[in-house]
Amino acid sequence: MIAVAAGTNRIDPYLIPALDGVAYGLLVFVAASGLVFCFGVANILNLAHGTLYAIGGYTAAALLDGGWASLALALTVGVLAAAAAGVLLAGLLTPIATGNHLTQALLTFGVALAGGSLLVAGFGPDDPQVRVPAALDGSVAVAGHRYAAYRLVFIVVAALIAAALYLVVRRTRAGMLVRAAVGDPEMVACLGVSPARIRAGVLAAAGALAGAAGVLGAPIIGPGTDTADTVLLLSLVVVVLGGLGSMAGTLLAALAIGEIQTLGVALLPSAAPFLLFAAMAAVLAVRARGLAARWRTT
Amino acid sequence: MSLTTPGRSRALTATVLALVLGVSTACGDDGPGTSAGGSIKIGLLASLSGTYQAVGTEIRDGFQLYLDTHDGKLGGRQVDLVVADEGNGAQTAVPAATKLLKQDRVSALTGIVGGGSVAGVTPLLNETKVPLVGSNGRPELKDVSRVWHTSYLSDEPGAAIAQHVRDNVKGSVYAIGPDYQGGWDELRGFTDAFGKIGGKLANADGKTTFTPFPATTNFTPYFARIKASGAAAVYTFYAGSAAVDFVKQYAQSEIKDIPLYAAGFLTEGGVLNAQGEAARDIYSVLNYSPDLDNAENRAFVAAWKAKHDGSPTTYALASYDAAAVLDRAIGAAGSDPTPEAINAAIGQLGQIASPRGTWQFSTATHSPVQKWYLRQVRQDGRALSNTVVGDLATVGR
Repeated sequence: MIAVAAGTNRIDPYLIPALDGVAYGLLVFVAASGLVFCFGVANILNLAHGTLYAIGGYTAAALLDGGWASLALALTVGVLAAAAAGVLLAGLLTPIATGNHLTQALLTFGVALAGGSLLVAGFGPDDPQVRVPAALDGSVAVAGHRYAAYRLVFIVVAALIAAALYLVVRRTRAGMLVRAAVGDPEMVACLGVSPARIRAGVLAAAGALAGAAGVLGAPIIGPGTDTADTVLLLSLVVVVLGGLGSMAGTLLAALAIGEIQTLGVALLPSAAPFLLFAAMAAVLAVRARGLAARWRTT
Repeated sequence: MSLTTPGRSRALTATVLALVLGVSTACGDDGPGTSAGGSIKIGLLASLSGTYQAVGTEIRDGFQLYLDTHDGKLGGRQVDLVVADEGNGAQTAVPAATKLLKQDRVSALTGIVGGGSVAGVTPLLNETKVPLVGSNGRPELKDVSRVWHTSYLSDEPGAAIAQHVRDNVKGSVYAIGPDYQGGWDELRGFTDAFGKIGGKLANADGKTTFTPFPATTNFTPYFARIKASGAAAVYTFYAGSAAVDFVKQYAQSEIKDIPLYAAGFLTEGGVLNAQGEAARDIYSVLNYSPDLDNAENRAFVAAWKAKHDGSPTTYALASYDAAAVLDRAIGAAGSDPTPEAINAAIGQLGQIASPRGTWQFSTATHSPVQKWYLRQVRQDGRALSNTVVGDLATVGR
């Protein structure tokens, strides 16, 4: 047995971690895209982004009961609640000039602290358990290995969300308006579209994305007291690694994070605690202008 | 320093008066913790908020259950139980213990969930000369003259199960655990004892794999390594939400058919409900199981179930036993059970009958010399439960 595993195929033991890296990476993509979207398109630095994810996660924990209907309900409620929280943030950010990142950071960080306390007050200090639909609560055979069914399905769903996001930003009137609002806000205002409404729309969309990621990703990055911080940190790493230049950059950065966190840990377990940040430091050292470009330039 | 304004002098007078009154009422007591009415003050410190709230609540309830089933008396004296919140660790535990010891002047302290909290409180015990009969956390301590524990040392579960794993597993064993002091101790207990009797670890370098704690929530990469190592069994220790993640992911992983052995905390208490079906068949080692067949345990479990949902945990049992220890020690400390007299009496107790079976304090570590049990998660009526399947070694030093 040992000889077979180690001798005939040196790649085989790492298939499952590599696949899991895709699942994790796509989750990070959906979770982080809202932050990148806000920052790159609307020029808003939202440090409460992780809290929006946590809202989705707690919703999933509270509503999921092992059936498909509860998943649909949790997804609806989670997306709406997180989008509403995004609109609330947009309202709070109204008096602050766009692009004043320090003030935005302070305000949204304060909101994140308050929001985190509210979630703990509402749902308790323990990490609540998430029940996935019974049909997905098992494992399936993948190339001679076992892999969690939920995660396999999640890969497909997250890929669909990513594709839909791309189409919305590139092909729809809403996406064009948003890109135009960044390119020339005065002209857009002249056309009769209020920049405040666009800001609210962008934050609502970012919230909806984070909420969806929170509900669907709850079995992978589950709700808990430090979930908001984890997701915010991963999202900021995505920004650093992928820049704000393109959705493709964001996707690649997210997948890289996923693989580093799973395949990297499987290959180098002793380096697990700092692998991610070593990669980030390396990228920063090589390509310091990663932050300069904007999403709009795609 | 002259007092110039009437307002200030009035305030000072009030303060002095309050102080005098306060001191005089304090002097009205017969001594620390005991009063004329034959009552005694006991301080219970446990995590009633924060991460370890579940454990802290069990500890409070276990002690209270002993009082409720013994007319509220320990050693024939009515108990005035003062409960304080330990919070998440030493930072909150030390101020709470200071209040119990110096303001409430309790005759003995019990409880304390975290090992770090115990380490923080120990200097206070020597300062105030009050004994601690702890019921959970037990760090490495140089001076145990006033510290007693009814729980266990962190390396004992692993040491107790090593022989069983050696006898029953045909092949090497993969050792994995969380990267913090508790994890190191738990895993070292197993690997040291296992190595001494000729057991072989499947880990690549022959050393335990430690996962970053609490950052690790995805164990898939580690499972891939376990699979590749060709291990015939896995030994682990996780607690709390990490235990839930580990067990649920293990059951859906490609190593789900490799037998899993663990320190009992992996499937103890609330985490077992959260793990559900995923925990089925896991073997664990612990000093207690609610289905042990002895008279003390039957009475204990029945009394517990009358007041609470579900079965008592090892945490509740340890606290119940702490009350039993104090009961006998206060009774043996004579007509004036001072903290010093109680501490001396604890050292003379000898064998202690308990729901876990008879045990006694080790003279060297002041923690129990006790029997450990092999348990397996099996169906028990409608729920899954840890069921005793055999006796393991008696451990203590």
